[in-house]
This record gives sequence, C-alpha cells and structure tokens, in this order.
Amino acid sequence: MNAITNRNMATAPAPIVVDRPDQDETVLPDTPWIVLVWNDPINLMSYVTWVFQKVFGYSLEKATELMLDVHQKGRAVVSNGTREKAELDVFRLHEHGLWATMQRDGS
Amino acid sequence: MARTRKPAPPVERTGTGFRLNLQEEERDLIRRLMAELRTLLLGPNDDDRMRRLFPTAYHQQGDREMDDEYQRLMREDLVASRLVGLGVIDECLGAGKNSVALTEAQLLAFVQALNGVRLVLGTMLDVSEEHDLDEIDDDHPLVGEYHLYAFLSWVLDWCIRALQTPGSVA
Repeated sequence: MNAITNRNMATAPAPIVVDRPDQDETVLPDTPWIVLVWNDPINLMSYVTWVFQKVFGYSLEKATELMLDVHQKGRAVVSNGTREKAELDVFRLHEHGLWATMQRDGS
Repeated sequence: MARTRKPAPPVERTGTGFRLNLQEEERDLIRRLMAELRTLLLGPNDDDRMRRLFPTAYHQQGDREMDDEYQRLMREDLVASRLVGLGVIDECLGAGKNSVALTEAQLLAFVQALNGVRLVLGTMLDVSEEHDLDEIDDDHPLVGEYHLYAFLSWVLDWCIRALQTPGSVA
C-alpha cells in the first residue's frame, strides 16, 4: 500500500489525454485506480480502523496504520485496482459512512 | 475516553453473540433517532443534513460525469442498505428488559445505524476535529443534541470494542 506521495493530487486537474491514432478506439488502457479515505471529524478512530478490517480484511495493525495516516495526513490510499473494483470498494466504504473517493493512479 | 456511566459496558461479547446492556429508555431514544433517520432517507434527496451519507465518489474535476452516474446508480442501493439495517435493529431494540441479546449480524446493523445517525447529527452540529463536549455550555441551545451525539459515540465505540474482542467471526 503506497502512502500518499503527491500531496497536490486532489486539486490538480485530471489530464485525460487520449491521442493514439493507431488504435481504433480511444479507450484508456487498464489504468489502475486508487481509493482514498479522507479525514473527517465525525467518524471515530476506532470505527474507521474496524471498517478497514471488515471491508478489506486487513490486520488490526495495518488497519490502524491506515487510520492514523488518514487522521494525521488527511487521507490515505486504502485500496487499488480496476475501476470496477475501486467503485465497489468506494460503495462499501460509503455504506459504512466513510468519506471515500477514487481517482486514476498517478493523476 | 473512560467514562463511568454504569458498571456494565453498553455492549459486550457473550459466549453466543453479543449483549446490549442499555436501559429501555435509552433504547427507546435510539429507536426514535433511527426512525428519524429512516424518515430522512425516504425524504427528498437534496436534504443537506444527509450529505455525509452520500459522499462524492469521483472527486476530480474532469470526473463529474462519472460521479453523476455513480450517484444515480448507487444512491438507491445505499439507501436500501441503510433501510434494511434500520429494520433489523428496530425489531431487536423493541424487545423489553434491560439487556438484549444480539447476533453478530444484528450488531452490525446496529453499528451501521448508529453511525448513520451520528453522521447526520454531526453534520447538523457541524462538529470539528477539536469538538469537546465539556466546552459546550449548559445553556447552549443545542446542548441536548451535543449530549446525544456524545452518548451515541460512546455506545458505538463499545460496539467496536466488542466486535474486535477475540472470538469475533467478522
């Protein structure tokens, strides 16, 4: 799990440049997506840790580390994968009331 | 964090599941709040008190269309998920006596519902990271809501402790 390396990525515009005339369709390749959880003042730290364990099957140690990242750095990458997987992860986090978003990796 | 409201924790693990040690009036209070959440969920979509229940999924500028699609497709599922949970737990809380036996599935529904109410209440109170109940004056117009919020946080925290106690199947 990567920690956040680019602290400006939330505000940076998303460059979606697809210019590959050698392909029939302008489809983005299988760009990996990342799921972020953002710090918020309502969800309890214990609750956030537990949700990471429950939704992703992470160990208590890993879940606690991610929760502290969210709390101290403002956000953390909690999972990654295809767009479909990321969207499902976001949905499950939303079901639990966490403030989760997704974006293309590296954008 | 350690508060000594009563000797038994509000929620604890038992040999066969979990036990909710809340007085009838406390459970009634929680049920009323959950009924209000249900009303809110069934009401208009644009109620600002619910914004934390339906966060943005695609947050980047160019992804607006994808987020609109996500909201269109998933919002109904999110509402349904919450309504199912509220239905499960309302039945359990209605059963009399001073303690209520819960299965893990019922406790999970309780946790989801409790946090749903906290998200709405916390949004209405606009709580901040530094929120401290002790700093709310007794004559603050929303002092009751602040105490309610603290009470729900306390119960939820104990639910999580119980779920994380060894023996958990989750």
